[in-house]
Amino acid sequence: MGGRAGSVGLAGLFGAEPDRVWALAGQYGARLGPALRSLASVGGGAGAGLGVRSAPWGLSWGCPRRSPSPRSVSAGVAGGGGGGGSNDFQWCFSQVKGAIDEDVAEADIISTVEFNYSGDLLATGDKGGRVVIFQREQENKSRPHSRGEYNVYSTFQSHEPEFDYLKSLEIEEKINKIRWLPQQNAAHFLLSTNDKTIKLWKISERDKRAEGYNLKDEDGRLRDPFRITSLRVPILKPMDLMVEASPRRIFANAHTYHINSISVNSDHETYLSADDLRINLWHLEITDRSFNIVDIKPANMEELTEVITAAEFHPHHCNVFVYSSSKGTIRLCDMRSSALCDRHSKFFEEPEDPSSRSFFSEIISSISDVKFSHSGRYMMTRDYLSVKVWDLNMENRPVETYQVHEYLRSKLCSLYENDCIFDKFECCWNGSDSAIMTGSYNNFFRMFDRNTRRDITLEASRESSKPRAILKPRKVCTGGKRKKDEISVDSLDFNKKILHTAWHPTENIIAVAATNNLYIFQDKIN
Amino acid sequence: MLAKGVKRPHGEMEGGDLEPRDPGAAPASSLFNISMVKLHQSLRHVEPNLRHLVLVANTLRRMQDQMQREAGGPMAPDSPEALSVVDSPAPVSDLRDSGLEPCRQPPSDSQGDDLLLSSMDSSISTILEDLGQVEVLSPTRPEEEQPLAGASGARQEPARTSAPCLGPLELLSSASYLLEDGLEDIFEDIDTSMYDCDLWSPTSLSGFKAFSSAEDSDSKALAGAEDRLDMSDLDYLMDVLVGGHAL
Repeated sequence: MGGRAGSVGLAGLFGAEPDRVWALAGQYGARLGPALRSLASVGGGAGAGLGVRSAPWGLSWGCPRRSPSPRSVSAGVAGGGGGGGSNDFQWCFSQVKGAIDEDVAEADIISTVEFNYSGDLLATGDKGGRVVIFQREQENKSRPHSRGEYNVYSTFQSHEPEFDYLKSLEIEEKINKIRWLPQQNAAHFLLSTNDKTIKLWKISERDKRAEGYNLKDEDGRLRDPFRITSLRVPILKPMDLMVEASPRRIFANAHTYHINSISVNSDHETYLSADDLRINLWHLEITDRSFNIVDIKPANMEELTEVITAAEFHPHHCNVFVYSSSKGTIRLCDMRSSALCDRHSKFFEEPEDPSSRSFFSEIISSISDVKFSHSGRYMMTRDYLSVKVWDLNMENRPVETYQVHEYLRSKLCSLYENDCIFDKFECCWNGSDSAIMTGSYNNFFRMFDRNTRRDITLEASRESSKPRAILKPRKVCTGGKRKKDEISVDSLDFNKKILHTAWHPTENIIAVAATNNLYIFQDKIN
Repeated sequence: MLAKGVKRPHGEMEGGDLEPRDPGAAPASSLFNISMVKLHQSLRHVEPNLRHLVLVANTLRRMQDQMQREAGGPMAPDSPEALSVVDSPAPVSDLRDSGLEPCRQPPSDSQGDDLLLSSMDSSISTILEDLGQVEVLSPTRPEEEQPLAGASGARQEPARTSAPCLGPLELLSSASYLLEDGLEDIFEDIDTSMYDCDLWSPTSLSGFKAFSSAEDSDSKALAGAEDRLDMSDLDYLMDVLVGGHAL
């Protein structure tokens, strides 16, 4: 295992915490633990356990103030200042990507969707380990009504199925999450992860090539140096645009359990990865070691009652992150207080409502996604039946609760039987944090306007997929006489679930993944 | 006792005095079965989905608490403590919202329910024992463990149900998936039956027919004929096979 020498050298940084040893890359890194532990205590300084400490890799926790991200409220949001509200305007169909076949190949099922920081690129990952990136076309002045469309920019195989010979099991190539890095040069970078391995991909364009080399022919054959009688300067000639994706870093062997989240830090140099029981901190440049910052594995696995379900860095404070659990709690941790963040700084939990208690209370309270607002003042959690908005300053209850599909509460028994109750829905904010969106069943998705408190249910279906067709609001009939155009709860198709949605960072463009199809909707332009 | 062919009226499902206070309890036994099936399916994977496993196990515990409280209510001397637990039995009116629609009812009368419950209890208590009674979820839990352990002790006699319920999470801890130290443990489950059976007697080796299956009747016939095989020959063979191996 490379890097061992380096990590021994760094052990001195953590001298104050002799019992905390970061996990070396390599599955049996724990074997080196005792050896490093003793080294750490040798290098240790006294009393350095508290207070600001220098971060691993010599970084400091004071984050440089970055230029304001494009996600701050901008005039681009339709509907004016507080715009982005779900009912201030109408949503129209824009595009759909993917096969129309009724027969869906498992590998084509989309498993993650993410816009980049500018919204010009939209990435999807699927169960087959592929990543497809769409790019927004420049606006066409001759067709002002058709705003920039998203077309395929790059497709590559991010993860392959792996076979773990030691455990005799196949590691799924399904992409669990994609996270973009902020753009720093002409190339684009993203992190993609499956259950065990995170990869940093560089996507770069090539639209010129050099012609007129001295030492080789146009077809690449080397020329005999003695035959060269004159020198020329190679010139750049345009060529058809070629987009190349190459893996720049592979962060492997740091997770025993299945990775459910990755989150890029606001310092743009580190990121975290979370699995069921642990959260690791990485530096983007360093692949052979990571720093374990949360570990909730009990000494006896028989005592296991709770797992980590999602984690995210705060958008502005690079020392703060949150993680959610299967018991419906969220813990906010500050990495400045200790190297191992097993003790949280804040603990968010809503007391259980005794009148709605059932055998399934815990399962439906399990949080499937947690997302900070762009402002950093709120966070949103998604559990099975609702979305909750929390004020970071108030731990004992959320400030807003939105029911996504309360009509399912009386069906929990069947949903438990068919395992639908374990579905993990994601949620997202719009650019101005005034609206939130999440998915449901029957290819329905829901949007809530936080200001007007109005909500809307829309459907991603081929039937309403005519260009610029306005989406009609849908309604589920919960009892009594079913009105026309309503759908009854029993007719819902629970195989058509919208788990992944994304909202453009500044505009009212949304991407909704419905099994193997990606729908893009935009607001109607007047 | 209901007459044959008469369906139990819907009204009886909720709050009938023969029914446990939680109308979910009669369906609870089928829920329990479903949960056990899910648990076992989960554990069959080399790397189980931990979230699914933990949620199902916790739900099972809830059901167990509920069923034990109902079954053991009159007899458990510490029932006041049991009742003080967070999800104490709620009045009937609240339980309609427990969110359990009448899923597959066991077509039994109240006596059948009792039998069902008692057989469930022995399997539940098996799980509990395996989960380790030291588990402490909240301050009230340790007291609750006493009546449960007592109840399980009392029910030792009824034959343990067939479900091979090893402690679900105990299995987890022994699964190599979760081991980080101890490379050696990974090889514990290597099948050594190849070395144990008498296929390696010199006469049967030449055929290699028996190599495919130890149950192969031919090999048995052959092996049987070789009862007279020298023990020292077998020992020698074992030494050769086992002695020089490096995995």
